[in-house]
Amino acid sequence: MYGSASTHDIPTQATTGLENEDPILLAEFEARIARGEKIEPTDWMPQLYRKQLTRMIEQHAHSEIIGSLPEGTWITRAPGFRRKMAQMAKVQDEVGHAQLLYSAAETLGKTREQMLSDLINGKSKYSNVFNYPTPTWADSNVISWLIDAGAIVNQMANAKGSYGPYCRALDRICAEEAFHLKYGHDAVVHMATGTPIQRKMMQEALNRWWPAIMTFFGPSDKMSTHTEILMRWKVKMATNDACRQQFLDMYVPKILEIGLTLPDANLRKNEDGVWEFSEPDWEDFKRVINGDGPCNAERIAVRRAAEENGAWVRRAMQQPKAQYVRPLA
Amino acid sequence: MLFSLDPRISRLELPESAPAPPDKAALDQFPTYEVFHQRKENTAYVYVGPVHAPEADVAFLFGKEQFSRRFPCTGMWVVPTEAIRVTEYGDDQQSVYDRLPLLPADVLAATDAAVTEAYDIFHLKKRGKAHTHVGQVQATSPEAALQAAKAAFGDQRPVVNVWVIRSTDLLRSDEADRDMWTTTPDKKYREAIAYKVQDRIDRFKQEG
Amino acid sequence: MDPKLDLLYRLADDQLILGHRNSEWNGLGPILEEDIAFSSMAQDKLGHSLQLYMLLHELGEAEPDTVAFTRNAPQFHCCQLTELPIGEYDFSLIRHFLFDHAELLRFEALANSSYEPLALVARKVKGELKYHVLHANTWVKRLGTATEEAITRMQAALEFTLPYALGIFETTDAENEIISSGLFIGEKELQRRWEASISKVLAQTALTLPDLRLLTPVAGGRHGQHTEHLQPLLDEMAEVFRLDPTADW
Repeated sequence: MYGSASTHDIPTQATTGLENEDPILLAEFEARIARGEKIEPTDWMPQLYRKQLTRMIEQHAHSEIIGSLPEGTWITRAPGFRRKMAQMAKVQDEVGHAQLLYSAAETLGKTREQMLSDLINGKSKYSNVFNYPTPTWADSNVISWLIDAGAIVNQMANAKGSYGPYCRALDRICAEEAFHLKYGHDAVVHMATGTPIQRKMMQEALNRWWPAIMTFFGPSDKMSTHTEILMRWKVKMATNDACRQQFLDMYVPKILEIGLTLPDANLRKNEDGVWEFSEPDWEDFKRVINGDGPCNAERIAVRRAAEENGAWVRRAMQQPKAQYVRPLA
Repeated sequence: MLFSLDPRISRLELPESAPAPPDKAALDQFPTYEVFHQRKENTAYVYVGPVHAPEADVAFLFGKEQFSRRFPCTGMWVVPTEAIRVTEYGDDQQSVYDRLPLLPADVLAATDAAVTEAYDIFHLKKRGKAHTHVGQVQATSPEAALQAAKAAFGDQRPVVNVWVIRSTDLLRSDEADRDMWTTTPDKKYREAIAYKVQDRIDRFKQEG
Repeated sequence: MDPKLDLLYRLADDQLILGHRNSEWNGLGPILEEDIAFSSMAQDKLGHSLQLYMLLHELGEAEPDTVAFTRNAPQFHCCQLTELPIGEYDFSLIRHFLFDHAELLRFEALANSSYEPLALVARKVKGELKYHVLHANTWVKRLGTATEEAITRMQAALEFTLPYALGIFETTDAENEIISSGLFIGEKELQRRWEASISKVLAQTALTLPDLRLLTPVAGGRHGQHTEHLQPLLDEMAEVFRLDPTADW
């Protein structure tokens, strides 16, 4: 589901390294993208393109696999058959999306072993919203609907990007996410229009999650040469602000129409059609993404345990003559 | 011990904190296999993506649930990634067959002498899309198979990229196992279409 | 109890409880791809139980959600095998292997049941169960011939699990009528087929199947006697559902 992890840490000051690239190959590469053609794994590509894409797709993959945990928290407690089966299918899809995205990232040269090592050693980032807890069933519903909605805004944009394997993965992911969004909306509507206990649960969950949702797309972009290049290469497809505005446009009315309120007195659409809101607490965001959130330690501990407990299985299945070959596409 | 809001996690009885684990060994996640699907009877098999697996039969188990649980499917093929002979990629609108070098005389000569075997040929029509099965050729080597493919399918355009796979390297789903997929369309709980909530919203607004 | 109800409750409760248990692996499996496959099979089990509870509903029992989410352990008819905690992957795989072999054979037989609605469900889900057994066999064959570590683990899991697996075939007072009315071939015949079926797979591994006649089946589940694990499982499963019994979730 979650495609927004990487955009906030594009190094705005770093050099692009473009001066070291072959100008003829670079021109062909840029011309191909300008023509609307996709880049495939064996094509020549600038180092910066490879590096940024690897990081972005890898973080997206980590966000899926870590993102399966907050909703997984309610997998054994979902109320009724319909919700129970759908919750299982949704959590399963997140793991499936991680698999697709790791594969896409692998075509750029980084192995899945290395990506998973970096995740469990705390060297890689994932979407910060998953460092927050889901204390009630309603919290899980808020994620299913609104975090997935945010992710879809992002992924629909990225699916128009320039890298073939990432586009293929995102096409499949977006098709599967249609179910997530509808399921999440359905669950939230049932709660918000339900009994007083349900309504209270849902409003409280929304209040808890709204600040995190507002940080989901990352801080306002500082437009730099770097950002411009990544947009020209169709690595970065929309600014954080544009995504956030699109999300608010699509979902605030849907939230309000079912009688829920949003915990931001400054949230409103101005005469120019632009949403105004209280600036999220970016200091807190930084603190959490750097490890000091309520669930960071648990999320990593769980991934480590899953890897460790499954190690004997993988060892046993290992073939002595096996050789690593990058996936093709 | 780590207490979690998730009862499953609490049951794992994890320590509050633990030292970072060492990096994974190479191939801890196994080599890769590429997976192809048939969406409907009598349609071409299409590439859907890779799975990591220790062997082909396990790759089949994995490929089935990773790639066919959410969409109709009537058959599946898997092949080790390393068994695929890949041509270079051309531009959209072109055919890579046009740029195919002629085989040296000795290779062509070998073609006459040696025993041929079947190769499956896949075309990529457009960058960013998926390779699709176009048919089989008989040849003595992947290189010769590519020449044969040019003769057999070279008139199809555009062809951005070609995959050549020796047919015996493909593990194909058993015809007798088609019923493994029959219930997929019934699993509506994982389809967007199963969730229709507008009536409920309208009723709520009227009552409000 | 009416033989139809008796049979359906046993089948449905088995699938619900094991499906619930297996869903606990979701996100925690040993390999990403296996995580996905295992979750699909857990979902299938939930789906099968739902279809069977719907048959029960047609026969006058309460709604599937009520039946599944409001009963307590003594009212459940699942075998104790299904309610044990997931343990490590060796146990979960062996349980899956032993249970699903019985399940596939059971549904193949039920496809010819004299009770047509059940026969219809059975014919439909057989294909899914075929995949479950293919999955189980592949893993048992691989791990059962792999490293010493894996073989030792799988052998220990097999020996621990078998007495519980024999509890699958515990009969009730309705057994004779179930057989004579053509509802089902009966547990004894099912067990005979099951033993042949698992022996064939295990023979292709380094694992040893103990003499089943020397084992004491862990029975009681079919009569509402359960391990200490079932009631907490049910309490957890119904935690949200019971928050507000009048609610539509």
